[in-house]
Amino acid sequence: MLGTALLAGAEHGLNRLLRLDATALPRLARLAGCVLAVHCTAPELHFHILPNADGLRLAGNWQGEADCTLHAPAASLLRLAASRQKTAVLHSPEVSLEGDSSSLLALAGILQDLELDWEYELSRWLGPVVTQLLAGSLRHSAHWGGQSLASLRQNLADYLGEESNTLVGRHEAEARFAEVDDLRLATDRLEARIARLTHPQESSDNA
Amino acid sequence: MNDPRKTESTTHFGYQSVPESQKARKVAEVFHSVAAKYDLMNDVLSGGLHRLWKRFTIELSGVRRGNRVLDIAGGTGDLTLQFSRLVGESGEVLLADINDSMLKVGRDRLLDRGVAGNVRFVQADAEKLPFPDNHFDVITIAFGLRNVTRKEDALRSMLRVLKPGGRLLVLEFSKPSNALLGKVYDAYSFAFMPLAGKLITNDADSYRYLAESIRMHPDQETLKSMMAGAGFERVTYHNMTGGIVALHRGLKP
Repeated sequence: MLGTALLAGAEHGLNRLLRLDATALPRLARLAGCVLAVHCTAPELHFHILPNADGLRLAGNWQGEADCTLHAPAASLLRLAASRQKTAVLHSPEVSLEGDSSSLLALAGILQDLELDWEYELSRWLGPVVTQLLAGSLRHSAHWGGQSLASLRQNLADYLGEESNTLVGRHEAEARFAEVDDLRLATDRLEARIARLTHPQESSDNA
Repeated sequence: MNDPRKTESTTHFGYQSVPESQKARKVAEVFHSVAAKYDLMNDVLSGGLHRLWKRFTIELSGVRRGNRVLDIAGGTGDLTLQFSRLVGESGEVLLADINDSMLKVGRDRLLDRGVAGNVRFVQADAEKLPFPDNHFDVITIAFGLRNVTRKEDALRSMLRVLKPGGRLLVLEFSKPSNALLGKVYDAYSFAFMPLAGKLITNDADSYRYLAESIRMHPDQETLKSMMAGAGFERVTYHNMTGGIVALHRGLKP
């Protein structure tokens, strides 16, 4: 009963998130009727996901047959939930699929494409004016944070490469890589020339 | 000449003994009285746990898209609402209840929630279900069997209308598996439930009947035997919340 309660809570939260995306629910409605089984191999855990027009239903004791079963450890399932490259995670060696994987891939696609309209949800609680002010402030802070991070990264790279000489600078590294590439090409050409010079001898010996 | 009143067999209505012909009317009076605030009272009295019990019932039904489901004593339509989403447009859910007040509340509530198209509403007696043989994939009766006068007849009627391989799920109050929990539960049932009924619906008697009818209902093993006796196979039950509620499941051979 505790597991059922936890899954019910998770389902409630997940479906609230899904409702923040304008396209998620109509896309999930097209998957209605599919039953996806998830088997977490470490730690051992089973549950089912049933998409429908209202979101996802999470069931811990589903007795019906599943269309597709996903076997994966918890770490991979978390990566699957958080990663932008969900299909890459699904194709990793520790993850295995049984049955019709198209519905699972479609569900992964829907979750990957989520664009949550958090401003709408915020406006329901705080009203449009406060939300606008708060959202503007948050967007400004996020923009400032992003710029600061990029600037910090650039300054750190300049310091390590140009001032302290701890690391080789990008331009210097690129020049060295180019030289290595030229050397590799020259070696290849030399090998080819030697091969061509020795080949006629072998040909004439055979003749 | 024999007086028919002297020969009529009796049954229980809570702790009272009443003629069988009167029980349905008395149960109907209870549900006419509580119908309007039935959902609120369920939440108050169970602390919201009834949602988890019903959720577990849905999971064990194994219902699939396109299935035909009968929700007997469906009342305000909690199970029907979830079944209608799971069976989809190609399936069908019938909400049946003997009590027209409960049926009206259920119908209005489901329509308000946008549930339409694959749901029908039928006023029907569980003992004489007005459906063809081998008609349903899943039948549920949640918190309804204890109010039925002749439970064996109802179980046989459900078996008749189920398809071979179909599942019957009986969700009902039962006997706590722990004696201490049983005493706490008794105190709660006979002190708090009528009081809550009085405060919220102005009807303590209906909730006193609820507490009494739970005690008169067969325990887990007895109900399992009754289902097997009616012809169900692979009958199992799951205790929930320490046996306060049990979910019985049987298959039609």
